[in-house]
Amino acid sequence: MSIALKEEKKPRLYRVKKRGFKRTPGDIVFNILNYTFFISFTLICIFPFYYLFINTISDNELVRTGQINFIPRGIHFNNYLMLSNVNDLGTSALVSVARTVIGTAFMVFASAFVGYLVTKKEMWGRKFVYRFMIVTMYFNAGLIPWYLNMSMLGLTNTFWAYVIPGIVAPFNIILVKTYIESIPAELEESAFIDGAGHFTIFRKIIWPLSKPILATIAVFGAVGHWNNFVDSMILMSNKPQLYTLQYRLYIYLQTSNNLAELMRGGKISEAALNAALNARTVKLTVAMITILPIILVYPFMSRYFEKGIMIGAIKG
Amino acid sequence: MILLRAAVVILIILMAVPQVNPARMSELINKNSALLTTALSRTSLLGDFSRPLKRGWVAGGTLDLLYIAALLTALSIAATGAGWCMSLGEKRLKKLGAKIVTIASASGILALLLMIPVYISFISSGYVNRLDPMFPPGFFVFIGAFLICFVLGLINYIKLPRPAENEGYEMKPKYKLFLMILPFVILCFAFAYLPLWGWRYALFDYKPGRELTWDRFVGLKWFTFLFQNPATRADIARVLRNTLVMSGLGLAFSWLPMAFAIFLAEIRSSKVSRVVQTCTTIPNFISWVLVYSFAFALFSTEGFVNSLLINMGIIKEGVNYLMSGEHIWLKMWAWGTWKGLGWSAIIYIAGISGIDIQLYEAATIDGAGRFKRMWYITVPGLLPTFFVLLLLSVAGILSNGMEQYFVFKNSANKQTIEVLDLYVYILGLGSGGSGNIPLATAVGMMKSLISITLLFAANWASKLIRGESIV
Repeated sequence: MSIALKEEKKPRLYRVKKRGFKRTPGDIVFNILNYTFFISFTLICIFPFYYLFINTISDNELVRTGQINFIPRGIHFNNYLMLSNVNDLGTSALVSVARTVIGTAFMVFASAFVGYLVTKKEMWGRKFVYRFMIVTMYFNAGLIPWYLNMSMLGLTNTFWAYVIPGIVAPFNIILVKTYIESIPAELEESAFIDGAGHFTIFRKIIWPLSKPILATIAVFGAVGHWNNFVDSMILMSNKPQLYTLQYRLYIYLQTSNNLAELMRGGKISEAALNAALNARTVKLTVAMITILPIILVYPFMSRYFEKGIMIGAIKG
Repeated sequence: MILLRAAVVILIILMAVPQVNPARMSELINKNSALLTTALSRTSLLGDFSRPLKRGWVAGGTLDLLYIAALLTALSIAATGAGWCMSLGEKRLKKLGAKIVTIASASGILALLLMIPVYISFISSGYVNRLDPMFPPGFFVFIGAFLICFVLGLINYIKLPRPAENEGYEMKPKYKLFLMILPFVILCFAFAYLPLWGWRYALFDYKPGRELTWDRFVGLKWFTFLFQNPATRADIARVLRNTLVMSGLGLAFSWLPMAFAIFLAEIRSSKVSRVVQTCTTIPNFISWVLVYSFAFALFSTEGFVNSLLINMGIIKEGVNYLMSGEHIWLKMWAWGTWKGLGWSAIIYIAGISGIDIQLYEAATIDGAGRFKRMWYITVPGLLPTFFVLLLLSVAGILSNGMEQYFVFKNSANKQTIEVLDLYVYILGLGSGGSGNIPLATAVGMMKSLISITLLFAANWASKLIRGESIV
């Protein structure tokens, strides 16, 4: 696989027509159709987010009777406040945040360090080591052997099962390695002559200079960690307190009504009870707080997302 | 020296083999945990001792001693590992390495001997049949391995020449670099290569919690069972059909992202195209659970579609669209497209921005219209990328992943939604611990082998057609 590093530039779409060209009726029809398609697809993409949001902040009775379809009414935030009564939710959120932060940090450090080391030509067995790691992208033993392996290593029902398997990420290693190779070698050589060791060179030169690519893989790693629920489901069967938020949400979506009962069982005032919590709103509210981190970071991160796929683009 | 290094490596590997766990002094200790596991987590060693402890069959101190002994043994082995690393260095470091291996092996033997009093107290406790004491064969294996390391270490230590006084602890850079990367190589081995060892389960008659012994070896029984048993044969046929249809739908519409990008490029306002691009990529970053929660919000009985239809007076009663088994393949394809279209288009958008603008100008001057430019310039410019992605998706035709189908699965659509990955999960792990692990492993194994063959075939095809490999 050849990876091409594109110099940073915004996608520049071709624009042939300049002022002075006449638009034919065909052009106008085409434009109308084209704009209509893209605007409707965009709406389809974001409407579910919006719909979910207005349903969690609108009056629960109106929600229950299906009155809230486009415009929020009777705005209140009780649903969010009441989530604190669901005990499991707090721990799950904590587990999710912890695995995202710790797992991403480890993965980014390891990718940067390994990516740096494999550029060192003098390493003993470098080619073998590099191939040994990269080849793992193309095969996997399958779900069941993976599970049996995790339990053989004693990682089932422990928090570290979320973190350790993801530390060595071959694809990210390739990205970092390619990036480091584009850094002028003279920088390293001069530091080496000044007596800097590999760790110093890594810390003082490689790490700061490869920050753009590290930010990109960090964003992707974090999203992957946040969204993963299969490992929670398979590996944590005896430790519900280690369930991630995503898996909790899945469980809530599957259970019919007992969540609302759970919340009613908490110490909630009569008035709040009358706000008529129903299972549906609760599910939607939990979904909303699970999406929230992604939506909140997305605007800041989208340039990294795009850079990520540009860098990772398999050049034909 | 080479012998010593090999012996230390074997010692370290032994630490991860459950069958030779020297700390397994009682049948109560899980037979599937290796010395490494027991040393790292106290619960995995003493998990089943809560009853004997409560009843006073065994003193807490005895168990603590066992755990400490296991921990010390593991630490000694770690120290021999450190000695192994040092033995790669120059003279002085090498000598130190041999010394450390020797000392660590001796301390390992001592740590193992600490386990003997535990065994004796188990035997003499008066609750012998409750505690099920056993003297693990691994004990002697480890004593032997430590002894070999000890002797070899000693020989090497004596044989190595005394280094000069002024010589520092040095190591050649090539070995230094190797040692720096070694931990990551080990991690990679443990999580990518070691699972392959789990394929052996497909050859045994294995039930969770039982031991793999040779009298349970059944050869290829599960593979033939798969095709001879009518029930599993029907299952496999159904699951394969679902898998191939859904992958086939994806393949049939794999031109969509390219078309999306080409038509998006026709939108002049850069603001609009920016917004479109941003909004259509978001769905790619939410999990399938969240996609399902959207589906739940929109299509369940009280959902958006139903309440809209009821409000408009078109229907009277809400229908739960999620609980119907109709058009599942199309629905799954639609959700996949909703989630992935904008994202998959980015690579083509980047491709379009890489096409030389002069080509378009020249074509315009020659009288090419909008569609002609698209067809004769943009499409050929993007085709190489398209072919690579197409070949890769052909190679992945059996692997649609299980998340999407898992979250959407319910009793109504079970027949048509189960793809191969999901089937393997349900077969092996999905039924609350009573799954058929060997059979699921066998299915997964065949899937992996076919997938890798397909990948090689795709690569070969790519080399043949384009003269470039894709992997």
